[in-house]
This record gives sequence, C-alpha cells and structure tokens, in this order.
Amino acid sequence: MLNLYLFQLLNGLGLGMIYFLIAVGLTIIFGLLNFVNFAHGAFFLLGAYLCYTAVALTGNFWLALVLAPLAVAVLAWAVERLLIKRIYHLPHTFQILVTLGIALIIQEASVLIWGPVGKNIAVPQELRGVLIIGEFIYPYYRLFLIGFAALVGLGLWLLLERTRFGALVRAGSESTETVSLLGTNIFRLFSLTFALGVGLAGLAGVLFAPLRGAQPFVGPEILGIAFVVVVIGGMGSFGGALVGGLLVGVVQSMMSSLWPQGASLMIYGAMAAVILVRPYGLFGRA
Amino acid sequence: MSEYLLQTHGLELAYGPFRAVDGVDLKVRAGTIHTVIGPNGAGKTSLFHCLTGERQATGGKIVFNGRDIIRKPSHGRVALGMARSFQLTSLFQNLSVRENLRLAAQGRDGLGALNFWRSVEHKRSHWEMADEVLERLKLTTRADTLAGELSHGQQRVLEVGMSICARPTLLMLDEPTSGMGIDDIPVMTDLISDLGRDHTVLLIEHNMSIVMSISQRITVMSHGRILVEGTPEFVRNDERVRTAYLGEAA
Amino acid sequence: MSEKNPLPVAKGRNPALLVLLVASLIGLPLILPSATLATEILIFALAALACNLLLGYTGLLSFGQGIFFGVGAYGAALLMIHLHWGLLSALLGAAVFGALLALLVGALAIRRKGIYFVMLTLAFSQMAYFLAYTLSDWTGGDNGLLEVPRPNLAIAGHVLVDLGEPRHFYAFVAVLFLLIFIGALRVIRSPFGSTLLAIRENETRAAAIGYDVRHFKILVFMLSGAITGIAGALYAMLLHFAPLSNIDLMMSENILIMTIVGGTGSLFGSLLGAGAIVLLGDVLSELWPRWLMLLGIILILVVVFMRGGLWGGLADLAKRICPPRLFNAKTKETL
Repeated sequence: MLNLYLFQLLNGLGLGMIYFLIAVGLTIIFGLLNFVNFAHGAFFLLGAYLCYTAVALTGNFWLALVLAPLAVAVLAWAVERLLIKRIYHLPHTFQILVTLGIALIIQEASVLIWGPVGKNIAVPQELRGVLIIGEFIYPYYRLFLIGFAALVGLGLWLLLERTRFGALVRAGSESTETVSLLGTNIFRLFSLTFALGVGLAGLAGVLFAPLRGAQPFVGPEILGIAFVVVVIGGMGSFGGALVGGLLVGVVQSMMSSLWPQGASLMIYGAMAAVILVRPYGLFGRA
Repeated sequence: MSEYLLQTHGLELAYGPFRAVDGVDLKVRAGTIHTVIGPNGAGKTSLFHCLTGERQATGGKIVFNGRDIIRKPSHGRVALGMARSFQLTSLFQNLSVRENLRLAAQGRDGLGALNFWRSVEHKRSHWEMADEVLERLKLTTRADTLAGELSHGQQRVLEVGMSICARPTLLMLDEPTSGMGIDDIPVMTDLISDLGRDHTVLLIEHNMSIVMSISQRITVMSHGRILVEGTPEFVRNDERVRTAYLGEAA
Repeated sequence: MSEKNPLPVAKGRNPALLVLLVASLIGLPLILPSATLATEILIFALAALACNLLLGYTGLLSFGQGIFFGVGAYGAALLMIHLHWGLLSALLGAAVFGALLALLVGALAIRRKGIYFVMLTLAFSQMAYFLAYTLSDWTGGDNGLLEVPRPNLAIAGHVLVDLGEPRHFYAFVAVLFLLIFIGALRVIRSPFGSTLLAIRENETRAAAIGYDVRHFKILVFMLSGAITGIAGALYAMLLHFAPLSNIDLMMSENILIMTIVGGTGSLFGSLLGAGAIVLLGDVLSELWPRWLMLLGIILILVVVFMRGGLWGGLADLAKRICPPRLFNAKTKETL
C-alpha cells in the first residue's frame, strides 16, 4: 500500500517538475514582458513533436533533448520578431486572442505534418529499466526526469540571480523604462526572454514525450494547468512556479487513480479560490 | 455643526505603521471655496482619497450634511451630493464630450440608470444638463468631438465639468490645473470662481497664485496633520507655513 | 479594454439595419445548401450577440460563455425529457438557467479585473466541464444527452407549427432571433446600455460619477447568460442531442472568435461572424480538415489589422461606395 502511495507521489513529483518548467516559462514572460501567452501549451506539444523528428533522424534522444527545445526557442524568437512585438502595447485581452490564434495554427500544423494520431517516442536506451529497492519498483526514466528538471531549474535560477542577463530580466520586470534608459537593447532582451520562456515549455514537452508521446490536441489542457500553477504560485514568481507546479502535480497524480475528474475540479477550484482570496498567489508580488 | 457642509473628526488613513492622514479635523463651510495645500507628502491626496471614498479610512469620522459617510462607497457618495474630479485626467476618451457630460448627469439616477428598456433620448433632463454645462465650460462648439481629441487644457476643463453634472452640493477638485499651460490657467480659475457661486468647492492645488486669489479658506497640511487653517492672508503670514514649505526646499 | 485600442461598438440607430437583417434572415436558407446549416448559424449568432454584450459593450472578455450554452442545452433537454415541458417553456427554462448561472459566475468573476477576471472565467469554465462530466446521471457524461425532443410550437394544446420540418424550425429560430435582436437594440440604446459603455471606457470614472459598477456588470452577465442559454437549448433541439462539448472550453473560444471576427462594431456582426465560422467549419472541413488553422490566421489578422472585424471591413467598403452622409466619420458610427 505504501509502495503505491510512494509510486504516485514520485509520479506527482515528476509531473510537478514538468509543470514547473512550463509555468516558470510562462511566468518569466508575464513578469518581464507583461504578456499573456495563450500559445504556451502549443509550444509544449511542438517540443514533443520536434523531439520525435529529431530522434527519428538521429536515433539519439540526448541530441534531441538539446536540439528540440532549441528549435522551439528559435521558432519562438522568430514569432516574437514578426508578430508578438507588435502587440505588447495592446491590452491583455488582445494578446490572449492573438496567441490563441497562434496556438490554433501550431496545433493544426502539427496534424498536417505529423498526422492526427500522435507519435510515440521511446525511452532512451540508457534509461530503460527500473530501480528496485525491496518491493518498491520505479522506472529509471521517471527518476531522471525529476533530477534533470531540477538541474534545469537550478541552472535557470542561477541564470536569473547570478548573471547580467538575469539581472536585466529581473530589473526589467520592475521597470522596462529604466532598464532601457540604462542602455540595454530592450527589444533584444524581450526577444531572448520570450524565446527562453517558450523554450522551457518546449523542453518540458521533450522530457515528457517518452511518457506520453507527442499529441496534437494537448495544448489547451497544458495551457490550463500552466495558468493554474502560475496563479497559485504567483504571477512572476520563480519559487511560486516551483511550489505551485509540485503541488498541482502531486494532487493530480494522487487523485488520478481515485477520481481523475475530481483532480481537475480541485485544481481549477483552487485556482478560482486563489484568485478570489489572494490573487497574488503564494509568492507573488502586489 | 451644520454651518459646516463637510467635517472630519480625527480622520485617519494608516498603511501599517505609516499614517498618511494622522487625525485630521477638517471643517468646510457651505458656500466657500476651500483649498488644501501643503508640501509633497503632506497627506493632501490621501485625505482626498478618504473623502471621495477611493480609499477606506482606517479611523475617524467623515460627516457630510450631518451624516457619517465613512462607510459609503464612492458611487454612493455621488447620490448624496458629493462629486469629484481627478488629478490625472480620467474621461471617457472614445465618447463625445456631450456624451461624457450626459453620462455624468445620468449618474445621479442611482438605480434608475439600470433602466434597459427606454431610450436614452427619453430623459431630456440629462441632455439639457449636458448642454448647460457645455455652455458653462465654453465647449459648446466641441460637443461632438471625442473627449480624447480635446487639447489638454480643454480636457482638464471637461474633467471639472463632469463633476458638476450630477448637481452636487460639494465639488472636490484634485489639482484641477495640473499640467495646464500658462494661457489655459485663467480659464480654469475663472471657472472655479464661477462654480464657487453656487457650489461648495474643496480643492487641492499647488499653484500658489491661484490658491491665494480664489480661496476663501485655506488648510495647510504637513506630515498628515493640519498645520494651519484660516483666510489666505492669515496663512500667508504664518511662520509655521513658511517653515513647512521653505524648510523642505532649503 | 483600455482607452488605447478599444473594439468598436454599435450604436444601433439606423432603421436600415433592421431591413438588412430581415433580408438576411429570409435569404439565408435560400443561399445555403440546407435549412439546418442556416439554423446553426442563427443559433451561434445568438451566442455571439450575447458575448458581444459582455465583450464589445462592457469590455469583459469571458471564457465562460460555453457554461451558459451547455447549461441551456442540458436544462432544456432535461425539462423536455423528464417533465415533458413544451417548446416555449423549455426555452424559458433554459434562459432562466443561463441567467442564474451567469449570476453565480458573474458575481464571483467581477470581484477581479483584467487578466484575473479572464482567468476566473476560464477556471469556472473548466470546473463546469468536469462537473458535467462527473454528473453523468444528469448530463449523460461523455455520451451526452440523446434523443432530445423538438416539440411542436403549440399554445394550450393546439399545435400551430410542426417544427420537425427543418425549414419550419429555421423560421421559428429566425423569428426568435429577430425578437432578441430588437430587444438587444433597445438595451443598447437605453441608459443601462450607455452606462455599460462608460464602464468599458473608464470604470473608475464611471464609479466616481455615481454608477454602482457591480450591479451593471452582473446584470449584463445575466442578460448574456440568458440569451446564450436559449441558444444552447435551440442547439440541443436542432441536433436532438446535447453533447458534453457544448460546455467545454473550445465552445467558449469558438463563441469568442465568432464575436471578434464578425466585428463588435454592430450587433449585425454576430450574424456575420457566426456565418463565417460555421460555414468554414461545415463546408471547408470536408475540403480541408485543417480549417482551424485558417481560423487561427483570421483571428490574428482581425485583432492586429482589422479590429472592426468583418462588419468593420464591410462598413469601410460601403463607405467608399455609398454617399458619405450615411456615416458619421467623426464619431466613427456606422449604421
């Protein structure tokens, strides 16, 4: 019995780390650019698909792990330069509508390119198999998932806290005007930040691909969860994305065997409750 | 007691340990033009926020026409006869000047404005009020212009005009001449003096020459409290006022 | 919506609009391959109209319209199936359900503004979906409610019209649409309607001049919910089926897209938007299954370049052809 709970808990942690990566990207974009990206879920699924293609071409998951998120980031950078930069000044509602359009385009393009059914990606050779401790059995890949995502999180934290780029992003979240007055090319900062945020979503898609495969219609579901996490954790908060992600992941996982719809109800109910009672979330700023 | 249209008793607005308004006993006589001045950070704007209902005061009483209105939300205060203008121009940019004023006149209707069946044309009194105010503001020729397309000076005048449409007893004007050019200011001063004939006016203002020329009473604030209150001459010659202003400027 | 880039808004003064509408209503089933398709367009035009009251008028972007659509569908179906209610009573019931749910959703959602308001409507939409899934005894869950009847139009037991025939049902829906449209026009021209605009333009100022903004928002929500509920009920009667998809997020998104693409500048835009999207979906989907991509592109183009939507585009075109006195260029009012 305990083993089952432990199993679900670990699954929840893994899921939570995935949610963290998606949410932290969304929160960085909102924090600096004040931009609401409704296409975030679409980039997640694109990451999974590009991983599939990369694996199909090179036979190497590790290469795909590097190339696919990069490709997503580059694509995001292009989209930002072409379209997103035109709509920063528009109210959030317009940003939502435009990125909704982008999400639709990505979703349908995925079906055009890869077909409507979805693709499977094999767990890399090195990580197949399970860890066995007494009676407890757990897949290596899922453990890798938790560890790798944590490493990426740490790297991201270091990037934000210890590098000049990170300082600019954090300063820019307070006041873009000041940062640009200090001589930074604010446009380049925006593009890079957007690419980084979306790239993280793509990375999450790649990491999750061996477990769930690449599916064209998961965008809205992922987007929904991403916003739940960001709201609960607090918009613009790194720590909030982590704690929120883990909370949501664990709850979802624990309830998935009992009552999956109940999990969704609880999660969205929690989101509504947080917005009504404490809109800044757990760690957000006013 | 009832010679004062508006009175506050120990009014307080605290943000944690910081008291923006620290026990203020303001007395505004009916039919006067009463100005609140003070150096930056004196608490004038915070006082204003409490009076208009934008912020909920944390202590004390606000008595308007004999009623304690401290719990009333902003929209409720309008129905009682209090109206305000904003320091940062806050108009309905994409609606015409006349429509801006008509809406302001309609605002006093309270629940009547929820009428969704009859046409707006139907309530002639609001249209007439709008036209009346247009004349008073000397903006009749711009009646159909979008509010956002007026010059800054005209917008400030409209800003004040909106507040009189609801036939208020008390007008609260927050830095009405804010950002106005030297040519436009006399228009505003004339308007306020004119309004003072049939309204009680409470205003915050920084421009000393205006303050001295049109006010009947002046309240000087400093550090959240009232420092001095009296006629313009009295205030002008008071030592404490000089120190409060000049002491800061050094 | 901010002062900077608002969506245009209908003023509803010109009688030519009604003539155009009646002409369209008569012509629609003649142009299209089936009366059923024409009916579907009108049903979604109702939903888009209701959405525009929130979006174009009050500046509220609601992802919750699907809630009211679904509830209207389920409500009417259950009333007809279990309580054997007739056509008009079931529609009334659907309107009431829609209004009540809109009261609940609206009262909670308007406690927050801007992006948080949008997020709340999104959260409620998801909750409604999962509730509908779970309460399968009532809603049929994943399968939906089957064999939804389409009662005849009858008064006191006397059957007036047999609505089983698609063209008869279309005529009924068209008359209903016309009545609701006229009602909406009245609302726009009323003090209530003018205040909604004020709230959209500058909520703080509206409150400062005496309007209790919450009351207005909740009431427009309820009106929107009632109309959307009716639309949902009609849809259930059209399909003889009330699927779960009526209440999912995609439905809310579709309704929003129709509203925007049609153009918020006129109530007539809802007809254009619904027509465009439904036709794209039904007709194009056979030619090209990936028509949603086109939808995405259109949405982006409209928001970025042509904020007046299809209606705005037509109005601009008409401006070049027709004499200028039909349009007031200064106040940007058209028809």
